[in-house]
Amino acid sequence: MFEERTVRDTANLTMTLFRAGIVIVFLIMVVRMFQLQVVENERYQALANRNRLLRIETPAPRGIIYDSNGTILVRNRPSFEVALVPEDLPFDDLDTPDVDEEAVEIEKVLRILRADSDPEVALRMAAILFNKLGYDDFIRTVQRANVPISFLSEPAFVTPVTEDGRLAMVEPRKVYLPDLDQPLPLEGLVALVKRVVAIQSMGSASDPVPILDGVDRIRAFEISEDSFRIPAVRVIQVPVREYIYGDLLSHVLGFMGPIPALAADTYREAGYTNLNEKVGLNGLEYTYQTELRGSPGVRYSERNILGVDVRTIGPVVEPVPGWNLHLNIDLRLQQVMRDALQEMMDEVDAPWGVTVAMNPQNGAVLGMVSLPSYDNNIFAERIGEDYLKLEQDERRPLINYAIGGLYPPGSVFKMVTAAAGLAEGIITPNTTIVDSGPIYLPNRYFPDDMSQAQEFVSWNHKYGIVHGPMNVVRALALSNDIYFYILGGGFPNQFQGLGPQLLSKWTELFGFGEITGVDLPGEVTSIVPTDQWKRRLFAEPWTTGDSYNMAIGQGYVLSTPMQVLVETAAIANGGTIYVPKIVHHMTDAEGGVQKDFEPEIKRTLPISAEDMEVVRRGMWEVVNTDYGTGRVARVPGVEVAGKTGTAEFCEYIPEKRDCRRDEKGFLPFHAWFSAFAPYDNPEIAIVTFVYDGGEGSAVAAPVTQKILEAYFTEISPRTQGAIAQP
Amino acid sequence: MFARINWRYFDWPLFLVVLLLSSIGVALIYSATRNSPDLVDYWQRQVNFILIGLVVLFFVAMVDYRQLSLLAIPAFLIFVASLVAVYFFGEAQGGSRSWINLGGTLVQPTEAGKFLLIIFLSWYLSWFRDSLHRLPYLLMALLFLLAPLALVYVQPDFGMTITYAFMGGVLILAAGVRYRHLALLGGGALLALPLFAATLQGYMLARLCIFLPTDEEGHILPPILNLLRAAFDTLPTECIQPEANTAASYNVDQALIAIGNGGLTGLGWTQGTQNQLLFLRVRHTDFIFSVIAEELGMIGASLILLLLLFVVWRVLRIAERAPDQFGKLLATGVAALIFFQIVVNVGMNLKIMPVTGLTLPFISYGGSSLISMMFAIGLAESVAMRHRKIEFF
Repeated sequence: MFEERTVRDTANLTMTLFRAGIVIVFLIMVVRMFQLQVVENERYQALANRNRLLRIETPAPRGIIYDSNGTILVRNRPSFEVALVPEDLPFDDLDTPDVDEEAVEIEKVLRILRADSDPEVALRMAAILFNKLGYDDFIRTVQRANVPISFLSEPAFVTPVTEDGRLAMVEPRKVYLPDLDQPLPLEGLVALVKRVVAIQSMGSASDPVPILDGVDRIRAFEISEDSFRIPAVRVIQVPVREYIYGDLLSHVLGFMGPIPALAADTYREAGYTNLNEKVGLNGLEYTYQTELRGSPGVRYSERNILGVDVRTIGPVVEPVPGWNLHLNIDLRLQQVMRDALQEMMDEVDAPWGVTVAMNPQNGAVLGMVSLPSYDNNIFAERIGEDYLKLEQDERRPLINYAIGGLYPPGSVFKMVTAAAGLAEGIITPNTTIVDSGPIYLPNRYFPDDMSQAQEFVSWNHKYGIVHGPMNVVRALALSNDIYFYILGGGFPNQFQGLGPQLLSKWTELFGFGEITGVDLPGEVTSIVPTDQWKRRLFAEPWTTGDSYNMAIGQGYVLSTPMQVLVETAAIANGGTIYVPKIVHHMTDAEGGVQKDFEPEIKRTLPISAEDMEVVRRGMWEVVNTDYGTGRVARVPGVEVAGKTGTAEFCEYIPEKRDCRRDEKGFLPFHAWFSAFAPYDNPEIAIVTFVYDGGEGSAVAAPVTQKILEAYFTEISPRTQGAIAQP
Repeated sequence: MFARINWRYFDWPLFLVVLLLSSIGVALIYSATRNSPDLVDYWQRQVNFILIGLVVLFFVAMVDYRQLSLLAIPAFLIFVASLVAVYFFGEAQGGSRSWINLGGTLVQPTEAGKFLLIIFLSWYLSWFRDSLHRLPYLLMALLFLLAPLALVYVQPDFGMTITYAFMGGVLILAAGVRYRHLALLGGGALLALPLFAATLQGYMLARLCIFLPTDEEGHILPPILNLLRAAFDTLPTECIQPEANTAASYNVDQALIAIGNGGLTGLGWTQGTQNQLLFLRVRHTDFIFSVIAEELGMIGASLILLLLLFVVWRVLRIAERAPDQFGKLLATGVAALIFFQIVVNVGMNLKIMPVTGLTLPFISYGGSSLISMMFAIGLAESVAMRHRKIEFF
């Protein structure tokens, strides 16, 4: 149609390239779409889901804890929290500049909650808002509302919190805290609530912000009934742990609280998504946190870009209730133990005391008391002022001294020395050693100067008594120290004793120097003293005197009452070291047994039954002969075996540069008593310890006697000839 | 003027595909705006725009395009004059001074200017067709292109600038440029590059930086950043601060998520989560392709893309069958305009091109964009209806 041109130009090529371009563009785009929509589809789907889906966990009901008879010890009680939904509050209408509609509504809500008339409510609310906003924001907000704040007179440290409410990892600052014991006037609270709501609205305006907690059922219903007047208010039920017997079992059961900042990573790795979740922080609540918690249910809330809930998806996963714990502990025995110990402690004015009971045949812990105790219900809703008081108590009631206190065991340790001597062939049941008064170990550097020799006395010498010749059974019964000095350390040129190696070997065999493994947190142990240990620590060699002291449970030996109980149980059962167990079995919500705790044997002592019987006989004589030191522990109708302990301890007083001593220069004593009964087929072993209590026979033995008597009359009566659980 | 209208030569397939695309657009606008209280009636408004557009389309189709050559010179002068007026008296909206107030109503001369430019350049290039092989005539054509281009560039309206440049370039090349001149012009353009770099507006550079590949945190990859630093004295925050980059690329990133979320078959009409839950921004206009990809999937999006490119292909066919050079260039210009908008818009959605703010032809919401597209199709139809026939009379 057009005449051919003579010069080549771009006209035809352009049209061809244009068409080629169309094809190429199409191909490129389809390939790109393939890449985005097919190859990387999953990645983008995940990103889109992350945009819109908010994972919401519904906590599962926490497991219940029962005693050995099925009595409920811990249950979940509903508590109520009042929260505000920011998006349901009216906006401040800019057409009415003199009225802030939002503040008016908040004020209405607070009046219905009685924040103006009930100082309790005002205080509680201020505490929550203070925790939420942090120091700076709290002060600024209140001051901006022209409300005066009263400050505490003493400065305190505050740790700044991050925006999401977690503790920031920076140095605490020293500031004057506002006095939260003074109720804030309503205007101040309104300003604070308004601020909290504003902060929440930046995140998601449909998430309720708690402004008041610890509301009881009746108030919660009243507030709910008013909700047509205050549409922004939500009353939320939050389960709270109720410890029915309070301080009676608090050391065993423990308590719960929000995940500690330091452990946050651990919990996050374990799949905890809400770091404000309350977890077991002590006791069984801690040990069995995973089992008690169960697994939370999961549902998703679909939200648009404004954070408005569009719909709920799920539950994707149904919550699985936590397992219930059934304890070996008998509530009645626990009660008796606590009362008996408390009574004695009041009598002798002792600061601390412990009594623990266990079935020596299987390690089941039947009762565990550590005094002073505390009411673990104060942790239930929010760790607050009561907790601070506890923390500041010099006696540190939060510590379970049955497993968390290390003390010289004194004479209750002598069974270890006796068993070692017999098993290692150092003595026979008939070996006689004579107590003819104090013995003297020559000074290593001046062996000929007896005035520099070290004196070792037995407890009886201060009463002017010598026990004369005796065998091991009688030595236990009399708790004679001379016998055990010589058995433990020997006597130069006369008697080959156990020596440091064998002493520490048997100390270790009996379980001192390692934790008993009871299913509670916070257990401590000391290490068993040895020659190397002493050289490392004091740069001094082990002396015969060290062996003497160790043989009677003094010197470098330290143990927890629980370790002494395990020792006592091993004597009672003929030489088996059990791991103590508080929990007997666990059941799921339907009652099916999920886990049954079999008795766990840690080791069997390498000692013959005959030799062990000699040691047991010694403990029998302590209680059942007229020369035994533990005669007060007799229980009618039951043969009790036991051992008294009166352990010297040093409470160092810096001003005196010496230990505390009485007017005669004697060190104070811890009172110990360890016992088991019945003698022939023991079903209970028990250790009682009273700090600074004095004589074991006068203080610890009567407590034990009371407990055993109650046990054999009320809990496992002899009259029926019944043998309690194997 | 309306004499000898022969509907037999009206390109019905082209028209039907355009109608189909517009209808799909209404459905997608409905899906994109149903959850926004302010926008819920937009799909109805779009239906009205389509009706107006169809009237425009048929009216323009009936007009013999050759009459338009009479309009070429005065229209071009008015166009350039209005751009100059905008430069001095224009009103700014959305960051660019591109509107002029005519007795109370704001008019954007650049939208109609696309067609005025096509008509004028087509006229010039066909009128001086035989002289184009001489450099002065070619340079003249370039001058006529560069004058409005520069005026739009300083507004600044980057999207419109590159649209003009592409259309003009295609028209000049399609008219025929000697290869030796082409090489010369290419060299000239290279030399002008520093001038371009010096006048590039900050926001254009920012958009470029949003587009450039970054690492997870939003840092532009070092070699590219070094290149940018060498070329420009000052870089906008989007190029330097990773946070600014991430914040600025939010819309594009959400669009990409929407597309990827759609998968092969899509989540279904009105079921796209990115779209329905408003994570996707400007979803009824600039990012409507992401709505398509999310709700109709790769299959649906490919089909719609195919339909869009069919329109371009069909208009090119009209160009090749045009009875004269003016008609051919008119249709080529229309094809270039539609093609360019498709490429730039879809490319932006797929993040293979920077953000320019050009809408997707026939589908995106908007009266002026839809009606101007219908006008473009009307022009092409006008050429189609007069093809060859002239030779038999």
